[in-house]
Amino acid sequence: MKRSFAIALNTFKETIRDRVLSVIVVFALAMIVASLWLATISLEQQARMMKDFGLTAVTLFGLVVAVFAAGNLVRKELEKRTVFFIFSKPVGPAQFIVGKFLGLALTVFLVVLGMGLFLFLVTWLVAGDASGSVLLATLLIYVQVVVIMAVTVFFSTFASAILSSVLGVCVFIAGQLSHNVLSLTRLGEGEALKALSWVVFIAIPNLAAVDAKPSVVGEGSIAWGQTSLWLGYLIAYMIVALLAASWVFRRKEF
Amino acid sequence: MLRRVLLVLTFVVCALGVVGYQATRPEKGSSSPRVFVPSAQFFTDFSPSFRTTIADAYWLRTVQYYGEHVNGDRQFDSLWPMLDLITRLSPRFVRPYRFGAFALLDGGRADLGYELLKRGHAANPDEWALLTHLGMFSYQYGSSPDKDVIAAEWYQKASELPDAPEWVGRVAARLLVKGGERQKATMQWAQVYGVGDQYSRVQALAEIDKLLPVDPAARQREVASLAEFVPGELFDEFSRALLGGD
Repeated sequence: MKRSFAIALNTFKETIRDRVLSVIVVFALAMIVASLWLATISLEQQARMMKDFGLTAVTLFGLVVAVFAAGNLVRKELEKRTVFFIFSKPVGPAQFIVGKFLGLALTVFLVVLGMGLFLFLVTWLVAGDASGSVLLATLLIYVQVVVIMAVTVFFSTFASAILSSVLGVCVFIAGQLSHNVLSLTRLGEGEALKALSWVVFIAIPNLAAVDAKPSVVGEGSIAWGQTSLWLGYLIAYMIVALLAASWVFRRKEF
Repeated sequence: MLRRVLLVLTFVVCALGVVGYQATRPEKGSSSPRVFVPSAQFFTDFSPSFRTTIADAYWLRTVQYYGEHVNGDRQFDSLWPMLDLITRLSPRFVRPYRFGAFALLDGGRADLGYELLKRGHAANPDEWALLTHLGMFSYQYGSSPDKDVIAAEWYQKASELPDAPEWVGRVAARLLVKGGERQKATMQWAQVYGVGDQYSRVQALAEIDKLLPVDPAARQREVASLAEFVPGELFDEFSRALLGGD
């Protein structure tokens, strides 16, 4: 574990200095500020517009940061051949994957939390609405994004960086449509189609089971029991994805 | 030098082409004033996590759409589909019900405005403003012979909500009088007296005085029956003012 943390720290230092990351974050903050302009034509619905569009920006930019950084995470080490240097030390593939993942997870945490705090402050200062639910929703968004990051790391162990990132985005979209796949399992006529739909339903992460955004804008409230269960499911999914990535990585020949 | 001039020239021509193309689009745009509005079910199925964001985006489009047409052709063909979509995706978003009902009125569709408000009330039963709008729509645009009483009932419901202002109860009482519901009107005025400020009390006493029978015995009986609407500490003063004596 100590070795994984050393790799994580190194990955964190490396990714946090990435200029592309800074550009994306600045762009995301600009988008949040742009929601101020949208709010002016909303007929006194400033706080709602800012929170809703702001959280959508946090989700989408958090996703972009996560998938593109995760797609490169392992690939870069392989292309630069630094992986050989790492494996010359007593470090296993699983420790390497977990270390890289934790380092990037910390970077993405700072990025997403930074955007969430910025949104919270802007909403507070401009619309006078200091709702802590914005920060809570940001944390739930972070968990979703980290799950997609783990899946992208898995893809990056056998696919190119770009392909892994694109697949990561596809899994995010599929995860939003999880319930539609479930409908297919009920509507499918052939047993084979039903079985296939079940496999897809189980394989893709269910990202839409709980959503904090509507509660932030006054549409119902968060059911804590359901949310805790969902978080547990997502953490388990993340562990499975990382273990699968380690397994594929172990089978690679260096 | 010639190469540089050619490059600059190419840039200027292309830039003018780009700007010119876009600048002439509004004139060549579709003459149909309709806005593309998919069904709410589509968004609920395909982007459940972003349904409120989509509702907000359509809300901004609705405000723009209304602004574009209210001082122009006053054709609001897309208004109802947009409001329907917004309120189905985000049922607790109150503003679209209130704004939408009056915007639909501008388009000559008081019936749809009323339906929208009813849907808003069903999703937000604690919003007194929606109930007063329902009362106003019933009174102003209702076709039923009992429209005054129906309107009064909406106002009565609104007056029972904790944050409703005092005038709501007074409007309900006046509408009951207008609808010929003497007994209900008396009770409503008594309620106004019980919870209202000094102004409301003066108004209530004057109105109840007009509604009560002239016969002293009948009058006394009726005042006594209003005890349940006026708190005990106020009831003595209330009955003295209506029946006279000490």
